[in-house]
Amino acid sequence: MSTVRALSHRPKDTRRRRKMEPIKILSFITLVVTTFLMLLPLFFMVSTSLKSKREMLKFPPSFLPESWQWSNYTEIFDTLQFGTLYKNSLIIAGFSVVGTLISSALVAYGFARFRGKGNQIWFIMLLSTMMLPYPAIMIPQFVLFSKMNWIDTFFPLIVPAFFGSAYNIFLLRQFFSTLPEELFDAGRIDGCGEIRMWATIALPLSKPALATVAIFAFIYNWNDLLTPVLYLSSSDKFTLPVGMSSLTSSRFRIPPWHLLMVASVLAMVPIVTLFAVAQKQFVEGIVLTGIK
Amino acid sequence: MNKNRKTIACLLATTMLVVLALSGCSGGKSAGNTLSEENGGSTNSGGKAETVTITHYTIDSEDRTFVEKLIPDFEKQHPNIKVKVEKAPYEQFDSKLQTLIAGGKSPDVTSHWGYGGFAEYYNKGMLLDMTDLMKEDGFKAEDYNIPENLMNIYKVKDHTYGIPVNMYVTLMLYNKDMFDAASLSYPTSDYEDKSWTYDKMVENAKKMTLVSDDIAKTQYGVDFTWSERDMRPLYFGAEPYSEDTWTNGGVPSETYFDSPEVIAAYNKLFDLVFKDKVSPSTEWSKSVAGQNGDPFVAGKIGMSIGGSWNLAGANDFPFKIGVAAVPWGGNDKVRSTLYVDPLLILKDSKHPKEALEWIKYLITTEVQEKSIDLSGGNPPVNTEAAEAYYKHFDGIDPQDIKNVYEGAVNYGFESYNHLITNYSQINDMFINELQPVETGHKTVEEVMTTIQKKVTEIIHR
Repeated sequence: MSTVRALSHRPKDTRRRRKMEPIKILSFITLVVTTFLMLLPLFFMVSTSLKSKREMLKFPPSFLPESWQWSNYTEIFDTLQFGTLYKNSLIIAGFSVVGTLISSALVAYGFARFRGKGNQIWFIMLLSTMMLPYPAIMIPQFVLFSKMNWIDTFFPLIVPAFFGSAYNIFLLRQFFSTLPEELFDAGRIDGCGEIRMWATIALPLSKPALATVAIFAFIYNWNDLLTPVLYLSSSDKFTLPVGMSSLTSSRFRIPPWHLLMVASVLAMVPIVTLFAVAQKQFVEGIVLTGIK
Repeated sequence: MNKNRKTIACLLATTMLVVLALSGCSGGKSAGNTLSEENGGSTNSGGKAETVTITHYTIDSEDRTFVEKLIPDFEKQHPNIKVKVEKAPYEQFDSKLQTLIAGGKSPDVTSHWGYGGFAEYYNKGMLLDMTDLMKEDGFKAEDYNIPENLMNIYKVKDHTYGIPVNMYVTLMLYNKDMFDAASLSYPTSDYEDKSWTYDKMVENAKKMTLVSDDIAKTQYGVDFTWSERDMRPLYFGAEPYSEDTWTNGGVPSETYFDSPEVIAAYNKLFDLVFKDKVSPSTEWSKSVAGQNGDPFVAGKIGMSIGGSWNLAGANDFPFKIGVAAVPWGGNDKVRSTLYVDPLLILKDSKHPKEALEWIKYLITTEVQEKSIDLSGGNPPVNTEAAEAYYKHFDGIDPQDIKNVYEGAVNYGFESYNHLITNYSQINDMFINELQPVETGHKTVEEVMTTIQKKVTEIIHR
């Protein structure tokens, strides 16, 4: 951003641009150093994932593995049914993202564009649900889903996402409120109904916000441990976090950190991918609409 | 515009389809469940061999879920009983159990494998009184080679609430490589050898301790983690809880944490770190082995006193290890803590009779022997199966392990941790209050009055 501004201020002075000011050099160095510090744990994660069981116990730990145990990456599939866990996690997180996006965007659109009686009160009520901690609703919710015979299925993990979540609704509402009324007027003149305006005007213009919500929803559901622990009981339905925490569950044994790191490396892949994809959407959203 | 609309319509349609398809599956399954439950009801009322499903709730780790491998054989012997294993990670064990019970999905068989203990379950009224059930069944502990004194641990006022399945003891593991380097002779595994004392242990430890500015070169002689913190004075003969703790359901009528004997005992232990300097400080241990790690495993400690579960990983340690008796510390009766895990039937169990059948199966000699290998070294409570356990560890003389186990039983004392009510809170309190002592900011005398007050509060909560 700052380069863009610098350019517009002095469009002709190219020599000045190439010569870096000391302050810039300093901030560049700080950035490099912090990046390195941020990457260090990540580096250790990958490095440990390639160590042997014996080497992982050593102190002080070695930077790089003495012998590279690529077999760890196949071993994890034997010890943990890693493929099944991964698939389950993807299914649950994937559906939750779809559900969150559809429901939250629909509700947020309503809150942003319609003025009715008690509008504010409903919105405050919605926001107040954010203050309820999960453990407070854990048991009643369990009883409800258990009465519906949904225990040991994916439903309790997916279906609630289709009923919106306060934070995401709030986020999207704020975004929808910024869209100029003229766009919708134009739509109305063309004969659009509300649903159609939501789908064809509001949603495409809100890609950055939707991308943010999608990332939040995905990360939350991908990392969630307590809900799957409560609702799932057969091992072939477990999710990745449940399986991974079982590796450290024994009070009596040294956890296989090397395998846990393998699992962590692989568990990171979807999030990194999503970030890459969503970031593109994010940028595109700004460029295409020209709003903001 | 049009394209967008189509995609959204498509998305909606697919989600709906999948939701419908999935709900179809679950519908079918739930029908099956209700059917088997109905059948279960009729078995209880004296019907024929109709199938009953019982659930065994356990920790999701290999040393606990091995029971899954025992199920096919059990089901063959008991065609009318099906066993389902439900599991949760250690950290979530208690919260899931509470939710299951509150949600009317109580498991049938479990144990105190989480943070909560037997006394807590008992006082919350979660446990089934097994006395009549066992009488009706003609259950005899001797048929399963379970010593009578172990059976008594889970009796409250002559009513049985649990049947022991595994027994861990306290023992000393030592790093043979470090002993060799300091040219010391190995400690004995014989509990009757009275020359093996606490002072002798400190003397050995001094010869192996090497404190250096370089953290990588530093090593310590001994790490004394005998039992939980609140119980340690007992090792020197000072009792912190009154006798009646064991007879009235885990509520001690008095505690003596501010007594001179208990304070002296703690001082003696902290002397290892601050006066003799043969034991690591907690900060050092954490920096070497991480939050919950054990610096002994990293090869930085000569002798480590702790639970026999430390043996389970022994085959992977990067050095040679041996087992020895816990040295004599001044208490003629108590030198070892016993950690006996029971199998419990929960009060809300719909099929207690079948649950008892499953428990009985798990403690038969043959199954207990099989379980040692399947679990990777869980010590059986069945004395006959124990013979197989002693031989389980590579490079350690079975005779040593046998000596240590038998000595531990003779000089053993059942661990407080599952037998005092609200124990997880007591334990947390202890860890917090003792922290300034462990870091050398306060003396034992200063914190003990607070601890005495807080323990009383927690017990009567």
